Amino acid sequence: MLFNTIDFAFFLPVVYILYWFVTKRNLNLQNILLLVASYFFYSCWDWRFLFLLMFSTLLDYYTGIKMCDAPNTKNKKFWLWLSVIINLGFLGVFKYYNFFADSFASALAQLGFKINPYTIQVILPVGISFYTFHGLSYVLDIYHNRIKAERNFVEYAVFVSFFPLLVAGPIERATHLLPQIKKPRQFDYAKSIDGLRQILWGLFKKIVIADNCAEYANQIFNNSADYNGSTLLLGALFFTFQIYGDFSGYSDIALGTARLLGIELLRNFAFPYFSRDIAEFWRRWHISLSSWFRDYLYVPLGGSRGSTWTRVRNTFIIFIVSGFWHGANWTFIVWGALNAIYFLPLLLTHRNRNNLEIVAQGRLLPNLKEVFMMSITFFLTVIAWVFFRANSLEHAFQYLAEMFSSSLFSAPKFTGMSRAVVLSVLIFLFMIIEWTGRENQYAIAHTGAKWKWPLRYAFYYAIIIAIFWFGGKEQQFIYFQF
Amino acid sequence: MNKFHIKVILFIAPIILLSVPLDYGLSYLLRQSDLYPGELEVWNDIYNSNANCDIAIYGSSRAWVQIDPKIIADTLGGSAYNFGVDGHNFQLEYLRHLELLKHNKKPKTIIFSVDIFTLQKRKDLYQFEQFLPFMLWNKNIQKYTSNYEGFTSTDYWLPLIRYAGKTTALNNCLKILIKGKPAHKYRDHGYRPENSKWNEDLTAAKEKQEHYIVKFDTATIHLFEQFIGECKSQNISLILVYAPEYIEGQKYIGNRKEVLDTFKSLSEKYHLPFFDYTNDSICLDKNMFYNSMHLNQTGAERFSSVLAHDIKMNYVTRAEQHP
Repeated sequence: MLFNTIDFAFFLPVVYILYWFVTKRNLNLQNILLLVASYFFYSCWDWRFLFLLMFSTLLDYYTGIKMCDAPNTKNKKFWLWLSVIINLGFLGVFKYYNFFADSFASALAQLGFKINPYTIQVILPVGISFYTFHGLSYVLDIYHNRIKAERNFVEYAVFVSFFPLLVAGPIERATHLLPQIKKPRQFDYAKSIDGLRQILWGLFKKIVIADNCAEYANQIFNNSADYNGSTLLLGALFFTFQIYGDFSGYSDIALGTARLLGIELLRNFAFPYFSRDIAEFWRRWHISLSSWFRDYLYVPLGGSRGSTWTRVRNTFIIFIVSGFWHGANWTFIVWGALNAIYFLPLLLTHRNRNNLEIVAQGRLLPNLKEVFMMSITFFLTVIAWVFFRANSLEHAFQYLAEMFSSSLFSAPKFTGMSRAVVLSVLIFLFMIIEWTGRENQYAIAHTGAKWKWPLRYAFYYAIIIAIFWFGGKEQQFIYFQF
Repeated sequence: MNKFHIKVILFIAPIILLSVPLDYGLSYLLRQSDLYPGELEVWNDIYNSNANCDIAIYGSSRAWVQIDPKIIADTLGGSAYNFGVDGHNFQLEYLRHLELLKHNKKPKTIIFSVDIFTLQKRKDLYQFEQFLPFMLWNKNIQKYTSNYEGFTSTDYWLPLIRYAGKTTALNNCLKILIKGKPAHKYRDHGYRPENSKWNEDLTAAKEKQEHYIVKFDTATIHLFEQFIGECKSQNISLILVYAPEYIEGQKYIGNRKEVLDTFKSLSEKYHLPFFDYTNDSICLDKNMFYNSMHLNQTGAERFSSVLAHDIKMNYVTRAEQHP
């Protein structure tokens, strides 16, 4: 079940009514409802993989308790490694096995040995990277004595499989989400209104911006050899807005849905395309994943402490692993490495924490320096997205080579250009709204807060009409494949 | 909590209350548009009961660009209407037949233009917007369009939902609202000849693949046989016609003989007249076609006359002699 379908429009009100009217007085019952709803939500995609989710949940629940009750460190370490190995093992089999098998065969072929690796034909269970990381953070937190093991299975299972975040995050932490699951939720009028508003904005981002951009990005990337440089640049720009609209739109719907149920999830996006450098971009893009890698990989490796070599190594490791997390393809690895290269000068010159506040805070417009810095960062990001979107490294390099050829200065030409002009106007308006709302949790959080209600309602209806009118051809959420 | 629910209800209520009139309005506007070459005109005639006729011509684009109902009516007597559906196979042609019978008097005779596409089934719902104005709460349309990629079940039952994101259809509604409906109809009694010269469709097709192989769809064949049975039980005379194809195009179809044999055996099995023009001299004359599967206006007029004459001589006259 996708957030942007009519099925979800029926599913959510049913869950909401049962949650606040039928099970409200009994926390256990309310959590059981959330669990059943989450499993139903997941099984709508493919019920067979529900067992994998259940197994992963049981594994971490059990090893968590075992770690907590362990008589000594050795025993505790055993249960930690058992959980880590099995969790990563599943991820490895479903997501990375074919990649390693093919890469190994290619490497041997370079040495003159020819083998036909055994590959498996399985579909990737949706959300496996997300719920595996949920579980891993939980057992790692127990191991490091940050939290105690959860002994109520239902509460733990809700933490892992809470439907708004189950298939594409945000990647939650037990320290943040579990306490909310354990205590009775109080209905909050302002938060509920805010939740609905955030869902509306998320739907706009996904259905109007991302799905329409996808049509052109797919057309241009899938036939890139047929297009000139300026068209390829447009294709890269369309993908840049597609992936932002798609993933941040998903996150907005997830956060809004959870807020309707009285639960606050971690923020995942903070206007990343207004970043002044790559370090700031990574503090604003897929925040829950970046912070996960920071806390469970970068810091344990030594972080930014130690010698220059250690810092460089850690930076590359975290970015490459982050790239690899997205998928078993060299394109993601190079995308990660490229971001590390972007990041490195800032790290080495100690300027990676220069831009912590949102750009042009308290001002309507940025100054020239800020415009220049944002433009450079945006441009670098667009280049990196080409690797992310391309089918192979060869495809990415060919794409970039043609994009930066002399044909960059010829007029773009592709099917549906007149509709693309309308889309460009929509993207422009979208970015203006994003800019004006950049100091809030999401762009329209306070838009119209001081307007009279008819005007405010007119604004929301206008968004609904835009969704109705310009809704692109339904596309899967990009991050479902990760 | 109540305040929240009241606000939500007040916000959603206008959308729900307006959904039916808005749906009606959009459908009304779309029905007047020229979105697809005359398809909506034919549907309008069917649903407005303006498609009453003695002789109905069925088939795909090879019906509506090739068989002139006026020539047929003039030669055979009575009235005629061409119900050819562009780009579709029998399943959708059958849907049009059902809707015709539902909203109009039944025709006495059906001239069915069969071809290599009749008994196949395409995956996509070609020109799906043509169904939008008519499909709400319409069980026939749901039955025969829902097994294609295109609509979801809610599209058939909830007002307005099916228009969401259908930008082409919505823009056409807006165009009608601003500019008014088109001054002239595109088709005349469902017929529109193509006044074009030979194009490169066949060359392009050959570049894509050496031969085209027809893949029969079993369910479509069963439905076709069911249709033949229904025509018999309703006393509707059914005539199968295989219109001319340009000789080079005939060679391009890998299993053409199999297609023809299928229709021949169906005609024999159900004792139906079958007029096969695939060996007619028209097939050798490139000037009569605009592509290998479609006659141009000159070819269509000549073929319509030949067909009308042949039906009259071989079928109507014989029927009159042996009622």
